[in-house]
Amino acid sequence: MDSVFSNLTILLLFLTPVASTGLVTLFRKKRIIGVITICSALLILVQVFVIVSRIISEKTITAFGNMFYIDSLSTIILLSISIVGFVSALYSKNYMGRQYDHGTVDDKHLVRYYQGFNVFLLTMLVIPTANSMGIMWVALEATTLVSVLLIMLYYKENAIEAAWKYLIIATVGLSFALIGTVFFYYANINAGSADDAMNWTSMVHNSKLFNPNLIKIAFIFILVGYGTKAGLAPMHTWLPDAHSEAPTPVSAVLSGVLLNCAFYVIIRFHIISSNAIGPEFSNQLLIIFAVISVGIAAASLYFQKDMKRMLAFSSVEHMGLISLGIGFGGLLGVYGALLQIINHAIAKPLMFFASGTISQKYETKAMSKIKGIIKIMPVTGVLFLIGGLALVGMPPFNIFLSEFFILSSGFQSGQFLATSLVILFLIVTFAVFLRHLIKMIFGNPVVPMKKDDMGKLAIIPMMILGALVLILGVFVPQQLQTLVQNASTIINHGGFA
Amino acid sequence: MVSTQLSILTISGSILIIATFSVVARRGFIDWLNAYRHQSIVLAGVTAIIGYITGIWEIYIAAALTLIVKSIIIPKVLTYVTRRLEIEFKTETNPYVSLRTSVIISALLVGLSYFLTQQIPFKSDPVVNVLLPVSMAQFFIGLFVLVNRRTVLSQVVGLLIIENGLFLFTMVLTHGVSLIIEIGIFVDILVGIVISSILLFRMGRTFDSLDVTNIENLRDD
Repeated sequence: MDSVFSNLTILLLFLTPVASTGLVTLFRKKRIIGVITICSALLILVQVFVIVSRIISEKTITAFGNMFYIDSLSTIILLSISIVGFVSALYSKNYMGRQYDHGTVDDKHLVRYYQGFNVFLLTMLVIPTANSMGIMWVALEATTLVSVLLIMLYYKENAIEAAWKYLIIATVGLSFALIGTVFFYYANINAGSADDAMNWTSMVHNSKLFNPNLIKIAFIFILVGYGTKAGLAPMHTWLPDAHSEAPTPVSAVLSGVLLNCAFYVIIRFHIISSNAIGPEFSNQLLIIFAVISVGIAAASLYFQKDMKRMLAFSSVEHMGLISLGIGFGGLLGVYGALLQIINHAIAKPLMFFASGTISQKYETKAMSKIKGIIKIMPVTGVLFLIGGLALVGMPPFNIFLSEFFILSSGFQSGQFLATSLVILFLIVTFAVFLRHLIKMIFGNPVVPMKKDDMGKLAIIPMMILGALVLILGVFVPQQLQTLVQNASTIINHGGFA
Repeated sequence: MVSTQLSILTISGSILIIATFSVVARRGFIDWLNAYRHQSIVLAGVTAIIGYITGIWEIYIAAALTLIVKSIIIPKVLTYVTRRLEIEFKTETNPYVSLRTSVIISALLVGLSYFLTQQIPFKSDPVVNVLLPVSMAQFFIGLFVLVNRRTVLSQVVGLLIIENGLFLFTMVLTHGVSLIIEIGIFVDILVGIVISSILLFRMGRTFDSLDVTNIENLRDD
């Protein structure tokens, strides 16, 4: 009986975006398709909340034999997908409506956009729920393809270029990841697993018997491969292009969630590899990539002229921090990293939405031409400032908390060099990012403009995210705490809570 | 295993490498596509032989899919998309490393992949011994083609070679993962090629040339 219920949970979760894609294709009316997408995203959010409450009491859900497996770790990713998916759907209505009025997109593009958006959500939902590492790979490759289609929605030269780079680099990266996955599978077959050798649960179960040398090589392939998709430097080169040229709601999803999905797969393999050969090897690698990412992001932020590119590099920095937390290990580091995943997924879309609205108002993304946001768009300006302060890790906003956990775990675990380097880079980021931000928000507009906050539907999603940024900075709700704690136990204790 | 099977596998392995080399040594897009088509046919044959040796029926489906998707559909789609492009878009006149040096580098890469596969602890199995280095060589040469060439079309071909190497790698090492995942991978590739064709088509209309050095507006400097 219980398993039937679990099957239904998973089935409904996947059917919602499928049905919504079908309805969008069926109706093709500009007004309706936006609402359909919002409803389906809301439905997904509700279902994920049900899953969260079940996970807190039952720890794991398995469905369809062993094909789907949800535990606290996957629930964190599911939560970020559904929250960001919902607010992005909400924001899409206003943003794409304005693009439509402006003449950038026509009816055909709008239908294509909403179809793509729903399929994008579907492919992302598969990643944390799947048990088989092969299906995770297929779903992640599918996210690349769908998001490439969404980026090339506009017929602009830059968008085509960004889409091309993203397609080529991400596909090559994922081919490395597939080699790594096959190595793990091979190790599992040799350890005596039969039919379910591709399943994560089976890999964790047999991981003590794996050949250590094979696992080392495999994990390097995994980290380079999925790291490309997760935006870890130096494989991040596609990221600023893709994230800045995509339609803004898609940028928010790409930055806030898709990077997390890729990193989630790395965490899964990190657990197996830690079981097989001890955590030191993968921890060291994660820390190295993390320090490089934060460093490159800090340096690149300094030179940015484009608002959305700046936010994209900030994503590289935050993925570095998450990787750092997982690499430092220990209860505190992992707890901080997982909290950082959620916090970043809330703060980054807020910034992207604000920047999307701002660039529609100013009709440019160049930061030098944007001045005096707070005078022209008071509400958006304040929310933009809140999001920016959160992103640089200012208390009392949410990211401060998780960054504090991560860095203190660095000192606790004796990684003084890495921690102090990262702190140095963070100080640079702090100064540079705030400088850009303050120049844009305050001052007087270059050209006089009418005071206007661009409609309620643009403000509401930002308000929701802004409120979450503030609330999570002051206190973390009990349920979320339990969830994150359980997930850190999974990572630290070899796969099972 | 029968020794004839082994020698067939060895011969097909060398054909695969020769086909990869003919992509490295040629300048024209149509030549690359032909080489790719022949490579894919041999690949389908190898897959079918592996299926015969191991007796797993799912591998025959993978072989059939390879034959249909890679040796018929993908070359057709790419020829169709590029038929309107001017001839200078389809030839690689000026790679970063000259063709002669490229061939030597590719030969070194083949040597490297034989060396690497000896380092990795695999169970000794004749199929693995013969074909795993071949798949690695395809993978590396594909990567090399991808970074060495300037035209966008050759990047697509590089990607296709990488993908063939990857398919062989998976097939040899695991004898087919499972049918669902295998089909998923095929669908992903096919959609990826279709999307890159759409992109190629749009590039042909918006850009003056398909030289990658022209396609770099988005930079940080």
